[in-house]
Amino acid sequence: MRNKGRPDIAVLGLGNILLKDEGVGVKVAELLKERFAFSPEVEIIDGGTLGLDLLPLIEDRGKVLIIDAVDFGKEPGFIASIEDDDIPSVLSAKMSVHSIGLSDVLFAAKLLGITPGKLCLIGVQPQSLDVGLDLTDCIGDKIERLIDMAINKLKEWNVECASLSPQRLSA
Amino acid sequence: MENAVGATIPDNARIIRNLINGIQYVQDHVIHFYHLHALDWVDVVSALKADPVKTAALAQSISDWHNSSHSYFKDIQTRIKTFVESGQLGPFASGYWGHPAYKLPAEADLMAVAHYLEALDWQKDVIRMQALLGAKNPHPQTWLVGGMAIPVDPNSQNAINAGSIAFMKELSKKALAFVEKVYIPDLLAVASFYKEWATVGGGVGNYLSYGEFQNDNVSNTTNCWLPQGFIRNKNLAKVEPVDQIKVAEDVARAWYKYSGGDQKALHPYEGETNPDYTGPKPPYEFLDTDKKYSWVKGVGYDGLRTEVGPLSRMLVAYGSGHKRIKEVVDMVLQKLGVGPAALFSTLGRTAARGVETLVTAEMLPVWIDDLAAKIKSGDLRIHNNDKWDPSTWPKEAKGYGFHEAPRGALCHWVVIKDGKVANYQCVVPSTWNAGPRDAKGQRGPYESALLDTPVKDPNKPLEILRTIHSFDPCMACAIHVLDANRDEIIKVRVV
Repeated sequence: MRNKGRPDIAVLGLGNILLKDEGVGVKVAELLKERFAFSPEVEIIDGGTLGLDLLPLIEDRGKVLIIDAVDFGKEPGFIASIEDDDIPSVLSAKMSVHSIGLSDVLFAAKLLGITPGKLCLIGVQPQSLDVGLDLTDCIGDKIERLIDMAINKLKEWNVECASLSPQRLSA
Repeated sequence: MENAVGATIPDNARIIRNLINGIQYVQDHVIHFYHLHALDWVDVVSALKADPVKTAALAQSISDWHNSSHSYFKDIQTRIKTFVESGQLGPFASGYWGHPAYKLPAEADLMAVAHYLEALDWQKDVIRMQALLGAKNPHPQTWLVGGMAIPVDPNSQNAINAGSIAFMKELSKKALAFVEKVYIPDLLAVASFYKEWATVGGGVGNYLSYGEFQNDNVSNTTNCWLPQGFIRNKNLAKVEPVDQIKVAEDVARAWYKYSGGDQKALHPYEGETNPDYTGPKPPYEFLDTDKKYSWVKGVGYDGLRTEVGPLSRMLVAYGSGHKRIKEVVDMVLQKLGVGPAALFSTLGRTAARGVETLVTAEMLPVWIDDLAAKIKSGDLRIHNNDKWDPSTWPKEAKGYGFHEAPRGALCHWVVIKDGKVANYQCVVPSTWNAGPRDAKGQRGPYESALLDTPVKDPNKPLEILRTIHSFDPCMACAIHVLDANRDEIIKVRVV
């Protein structure tokens, strides 16, 4: 039961939208979908809090871009883009915000030999993980930058990204 | 909500709900066994020392599963070795490898590790049934008051049609084959080396199941494939009917405040959730259990601390004379050479989860056939919208919804006033199992189960993990303790 013919590139927004900044990845994915038309090799996915269920979403992909809240141990709003083999070390040393999360999924993918050819994580240090539907102002202000970074990465991967509407001020 | 406003659902919605819950049990239990619990019993590092030829002989002696050649096990061993040598151990990094409480021969360790990998691969396929019917696991998105938001139509590409029925049939076969030929044989093989765990980890001895997999279309029906019932003090001869009015939450030992005083338990309709931390300022070494010491509320049934989960469901079914479950439970007891009393233990809890997985996986094709027959008969109803519009609701209403989640009894209570939610309380499985003592000092299931647990090395409390993991604690509620260097630390005081 393989996934022949599925888009080669996946953009995964991860997180729990009920816990303020934890949901930043999902919000960025939603906005990417809303604002851009991508060439057909790209699939934008709201990965939510799927945990191990993310495996089928990343298998048989050439490239995967993940956007998530990451505890880097830095100031809120700190953003970093990390690639391939550097990702697990960041996550295991600093731990992703989800308890059974990205590091376990990537480890499982590696064990199964289904790690995508290219993997990129755009992470942002959250300010608050309290219960609430809205991002904090600090993280809300970073949304445009996260979108720009995601688009730049996709362009680097030769994806056509056509803007659908004039950009809005904020999420 | 359905209970509060009096909505009933069509047959198709009921069957689809049963299928979503069913595949969730099967996938969740297998993941729990292999990926969250097996490594409490299986030593990954020891698997590196196994003889692949002997491992193949062992695997072939307990099952006719196709992946059992010595070259297959040799291959797995090489893969694990590469990982161990690379230093990036992922979830393997925190294991207590080499702990004296590990008792499996190296060959059994290797066999189990191979199946750990196979289960990872298997689960991502079988859960597609859940994706098809529920959109997302573990929180399906297709539930509606009065039915489901997923069309059933043999003539539509975008609905449950003949193609999706055939696909689900294929997935259910794959699910059952793995459970029959891998999970159950592994469970029995591993358990046979740890029979002393049938006398450890018993817990409170009271067991609750709300019942699951409905046979009719009214909310909270007692007509369920997994029966409803309450067992008091391990008395399997008397399964009592369940009345939700006997559920009450208490905060005598939890960091919450009740407006009418913290000593009196409240039924969830009157429930309150006012966090009020009164513990010591971190960092601290230990909490005073005579005061408040938990973020989990306490919950009781008829004033008693009560265990929920697969063991409770299997005991209620066993005590109610459920034919298939009785057969499978008796088969497991007989193969392990132990009596029914062995069920009240850490090993019993882990075995009950396996029994439930097998009997549920057997039902999946039955429910798929039910759905196919309905569609064939021309009944495509999936949602009953009589009670969809809030103007049809009474001005004031109360309702509760029973569900047996994979890890145990779950109920939500809602109070509606003027078309709005006035109170909403959830009592989830890990609240039952992990909750603190009550005002009278009665211990909850985790605490009781840990009493008299032998711990060989307090710095490596493997035995405690075995019992806690046997309950399948909620991961999302897990609290990680990190020191400044971000190494996990756990301190255990043996009393």
